[in-house]
Amino acid sequence: MTPVPVSVITGFLGSGKTTLLSRLLRDPALERTAVIINEFGAVGLDHLLVESSDEQILTLEGGCVCCTVRGDLVRTAGDLLARRAAGAVAPFERIVVETTGLADPAPIVHALMTDRDVADALRLESVIATVDAAAGAGTLDAHPESVKQAALADRIVLTKTDLADPAANGLAARLQALNPAAPKLAAVHGAVDAGRLFDGRAYDPALYDPALYGAPAHRHDDIRAFCLRRETPLHAATLSLFLQVLAEHCGARLLRLKGLVDVVESPGRPAVIHGVQHVFHPPAWLDAWPDGDRGTRMVVISQGLDEQWLRDLLELLDQEVTACSIS
Amino acid sequence: MSSHKIDRRAERVLLGALRVWGVQGSVSCEPDGFMLCAAAGKKMRIARDLPRGWRLFNETRLLGEAAGLPGLLRLLREELAPQAARGRLIIGSALP
Repeated sequence: MTPVPVSVITGFLGSGKTTLLSRLLRDPALERTAVIINEFGAVGLDHLLVESSDEQILTLEGGCVCCTVRGDLVRTAGDLLARRAAGAVAPFERIVVETTGLADPAPIVHALMTDRDVADALRLESVIATVDAAAGAGTLDAHPESVKQAALADRIVLTKTDLADPAANGLAARLQALNPAAPKLAAVHGAVDAGRLFDGRAYDPALYDPALYGAPAHRHDDIRAFCLRRETPLHAATLSLFLQVLAEHCGARLLRLKGLVDVVESPGRPAVIHGVQHVFHPPAWLDAWPDGDRGTRMVVISQGLDEQWLRDLLELLDQEVTACSIS
Repeated sequence: MSSHKIDRRAERVLLGALRVWGVQGSVSCEPDGFMLCAAAGKKMRIARDLPRGWRLFNETRLLGEAAGLPGLLRLLREELAPQAARGRLIIGSALP
């Protein structure tokens, strides 16, 4: 059975998640979409604002999806799949999860990547963060949750761009420094090109364009994005040890890591690595390099990790592996 | 690559690890390894004997041995920052 793509829409309170979702569900390209809405509080309202078939919308009430109802999310997704198999709901082709405004998206992503009941039936497609063009800068200053939401996202949707220009108020530059590789899409009243929100970019070499990185971070943000490059291939053991050390010592600070890696044991077939904190997909092996660049590139978005330390760690590990290798 | 350059890199990695764990201290190169001084008054000698690995001493005794850098970092964290968060690499579902 083909895994069902799942996208997570996150974003701070009032940033326009529900408006975006409501508009997206009117797009004919997304009509076969099931929605799981997590509502924080005793009385859920957000699902009433989303115009769609009721049977396709499920709500998780009474807690924040990232901490108290993570199990419910997995169960609900599992129930949806079972009901689809039984013909009890329309045959949806995609699931969208809308989180509460206070949610840390990382545990949600972890659940979708690792829960054995759903990991084979679902595939994480993308994390989409909404940021309010008018109030976003203030929200980023005051609420670290919102910074993390934007930093973890695969795509950022700037909402309410009819009220404020994110380029003029500095928000666009701040988001670019925070998460350079995430495409930034503008939305007015939730209208955005759905095709650009949900297209797969896991192997896109444009993610690793060095021109994207190096912008100075905002003074309030301790989250940094940078790209580690290496011109000579790495041993597979080095890559494994590097990820283990990062997971063991830096897990929560390592928000995202995406890379194309030239591996000694796999000449001409680079490994694609993707991880969120200490949880990684297994490496995927490409048949060929996607562009003319044959170097290893790893994009890191981290909280308080030093770029040079990661470079030194990678080099030192490879020196040790090389010294221990039988040539 | 010269051993001096490798030593400087190892020194930076050890110092950076202290920062990651929130431990104040210093690291200096020694003829057979490194001396690590934590602000709490702990002194440790790290002897490198590649390809056999690393040995960690305090002033009087051997604290542990590690075949590679990952093991050395684990030993150091257990000695210097046992309260620091400790994660574990988890491999999840395949990439889309």
